[in-house]
Amino acid sequence: MKDLKHLYYFEKLLEDANNELVRQAQSEGRKCVATVCENIPEPLLNLPGIFSVRLRAPRTGSMEMATYYMTSFLCEYTRAILERAIEGGYNFADCIITPDGCSMLNRCVENMELLKTMQKEHFFYQYMEIPMKADDNGLNLYTLQCRNHILTPLHGKFGIDTSDAAIRKAVEEHNRVCSLIRRIGEYRKEENPRITGYEYHIITMATYAAPKYLLLEKLEETLEELKTRKPDAKNPYRARVVLVGSEVDDVDVVRLMEECGAYVCADRFCYGSFPGRDTIELNEEEDALTQICRQYMYRGQCARYMNQDKIQDRRKYVDRLAKEYHADGIVYQQMKFCDPWAYERMLGTQILRDEYHYPVLSIDRPYAVGQSGQLRTRVQAFVESVEIKKIQGGVK
Amino acid sequence: MGKELGSERLGSFYTTGKVKRRREWRGVKDTLYDYTRWLHIMGILAKFIIKPRNIKAFFRYRWMSNYLAAPMMVDRHTQGLRGPQLRIAHTEFDLVMEDVAKLLDNLFRGDRRVGNNKKFSDKVVLMDENEMTAVMMGFPTLKGLSRETPAVYVSVLLNQYAACHYIDVAQEYGLSGDVCPMPEAEAGVSIDDDFPVLGACAIQCNTTCDGSLMGNSVISKRLELEDGVPCFQLAAPLRHREDDVQEYAAQEIRNCIQFIEEKTGEKWDWDYYFTCAKRVNESTRHRMEWLEMNKTDYPQVFGSNLALYTETNYMAICGKMQEFVEADRKISALAEQGYKNKTMAVKEYRHRAIIWGVQSHFYMDFLIWLQNCWGIVPLTDMLSMVSTKILSEDDKEQAIYDMAWLTENMIMRNRTHGGYKVLLDELWEFCEEFRADTVILWEHMSCKALDGMHGQFEEKAREKGIHLIWVSHDLFDPRVISRQEIRDQVNRYMRTVFREEPLDPTLEVISDEHSW
Repeated sequence: MKDLKHLYYFEKLLEDANNELVRQAQSEGRKCVATVCENIPEPLLNLPGIFSVRLRAPRTGSMEMATYYMTSFLCEYTRAILERAIEGGYNFADCIITPDGCSMLNRCVENMELLKTMQKEHFFYQYMEIPMKADDNGLNLYTLQCRNHILTPLHGKFGIDTSDAAIRKAVEEHNRVCSLIRRIGEYRKEENPRITGYEYHIITMATYAAPKYLLLEKLEETLEELKTRKPDAKNPYRARVVLVGSEVDDVDVVRLMEECGAYVCADRFCYGSFPGRDTIELNEEEDALTQICRQYMYRGQCARYMNQDKIQDRRKYVDRLAKEYHADGIVYQQMKFCDPWAYERMLGTQILRDEYHYPVLSIDRPYAVGQSGQLRTRVQAFVESVEIKKIQGGVK
Repeated sequence: MGKELGSERLGSFYTTGKVKRRREWRGVKDTLYDYTRWLHIMGILAKFIIKPRNIKAFFRYRWMSNYLAAPMMVDRHTQGLRGPQLRIAHTEFDLVMEDVAKLLDNLFRGDRRVGNNKKFSDKVVLMDENEMTAVMMGFPTLKGLSRETPAVYVSVLLNQYAACHYIDVAQEYGLSGDVCPMPEAEAGVSIDDDFPVLGACAIQCNTTCDGSLMGNSVISKRLELEDGVPCFQLAAPLRHREDDVQEYAAQEIRNCIQFIEEKTGEKWDWDYYFTCAKRVNESTRHRMEWLEMNKTDYPQVFGSNLALYTETNYMAICGKMQEFVEADRKISALAEQGYKNKTMAVKEYRHRAIIWGVQSHFYMDFLIWLQNCWGIVPLTDMLSMVSTKILSEDDKEQAIYDMAWLTENMIMRNRTHGGYKVLLDELWEFCEEFRADTVILWEHMSCKALDGMHGQFEEKAREKGIHLIWVSHDLFDPRVISRQEIRDQVNRYMRTVFREEPLDPTLEVISDEHSW
């Protein structure tokens, strides 16, 4: 298949947290709001005058300093982020707003604060409580926390307009990006797809790691390009999988899987497009903030949601994706030492296998997989097993 | 051998087997007292096991065999003690034992597989192991029972290897080996279908950590979806010191009470609640008094006894049993007497220590080893430094917020959640208040909330000139770090940094690898 025109550009953007577009937006006078979790409503961090960046630590090498502060038992994402912060890699950020999502992320950001890693004079930290259940009480909490820990400090410190109108405008811009990403992703449903899972992952990640408004043009061009892009005559993939699980911002994960013949047709993980790139629908009757929080809360697939409805819905959601994107199997992955996804992966694997009858591969992995031979072997074996099932005409 | 402190070489009692060579000689009076308490515990066990349904349960549930080690568990926690300290420890432990026996008896009474008393089962509300039971303070006709407490928590106190089987079960089912072994073992019991099945409903809670939170999903899968016991997930806010989460927490309590009312048909009783609240307040005042005493040169109520008793009284009892208030009064009287007489627990106090972090569950009596072997006094510990807030005794609206506060401030959770200040900064404040020169920092290797502050503890301790002794362990799993490896971490520090010799050299290396 011919390379996508802007793929190299997107790949370059992802090589550095302080990428070209971050610098451009800051030179235009916008403030950068850093965050580390999908549970912070993105449109609120992209009001006029600010833009959001989900922190990543691309090209991570040693994590020794962070390991000293947090031991080797915390997940490598949090250690990589802390290491990069200690190295001064996030000094472009103007503030960080983080939920108490998991203990490790919380400790990571607290260490950043205690170690005074951020250099900007008016830099501030905000820690949010976010609901663990999707219900009315949770919604009240979510809305209050967004007001107290996002809108009020952004207005107070940077003079950002946090009015309902400004929020609606931010949602509009957010929806444009989401809609483009979703439409690009639709091509993954094709039997011989014209976009690879890797390319899609790169494009989606760019929308988390760079100011969205500066990406719009290239996203639109990419969508146009895809309309006429011709896939290779012979489909190089041997199985289609939904990739489910914890945080994946490593560009190599999906690439490695696809090199083994497993086409990633849907991405249900933090930094993926499900549900992070769902559009937000607003009505005029209710304030925008409450509507955003409600949609984030009810659509959220984060493993920390503890009520039974949400727990059950997480498996149904994966099943829906698998059906919609014609998957042959599911890959549950977690970053090593991630508690929430350790449990969710275990249960999801068993339930999707026993009750929904999918072939499921269950793996834990490091933050940066590189060319992991172990992982490659496991994916290859899984692909073969799926192929054999297909040949033998067994269940799914 | 005699009534004097340190007159017995305690290490010489250990064999390579499960039990010790002989009982300790503490002088005529104390030995006789200790022996009568041992008989009392045997009496509790006998009274329990003579019921046919309990015999049936003994053979149905794998973890029940651990209860054979109950008398030895008390012995381990009373090693070397004399006079008031011995009596305080027995007052605490014997009551906890009685309470656990009652809990087991009630569980098997309602258990569909054992007693199958449906009428009783319909009045049972299942609670999480590590959960504050404040929401049961207004239901006098209901029983709030925890299945995890006897199956896992107490079992590991009795027998260091009790949880290993269930940890393996969970891992064989696909759980990573790096999660906290406590919820992991609880999940393992559920996967193994080894919990009693009973109850009108269950209240789960996001207790100490992400692991506990997530382990509930395994348990509720069986409990709610297979056994048909409806579950309510009580979500207590993590940032519990913040004002803007308290209304949410209060509403969770209201919703939880409403759920229990709906599922059991019982109504919330404010009179009973305020009676319980008064008891909680009295227990809190006693605990504060003990902690004040521990700030002096003659601490009286401290160590693992304080931790275990506080955990039971504060969290599981939460004012619902008058017996605990009476025990508090007795302990306070004994402590007063000991304080006036300047009684010590060992012959020499060399270091005053705060015990911080999550204690090794399979080696809870490590604190008594610290004092006996090295003269390190465990003045207080993280589990005991819980809320000292006095609850309203007449305001119904405030009472909801009080219950929410207690639920947010469960043991451990009040330190592992809520931001670094409650875990890190307050430790140094306690060091100052208690005039501690040493911190024994339990590093439970799978506890991410604690591990995440590792470097900060080190740096701040150095800055403040406090001796920080790391003691790594894996909470429920002695196969990862054994009891001797735990002791060796202290032994090394005492010899290489303090350059001291032990008070009782026979305790430095003990052959308790296979011991209960």
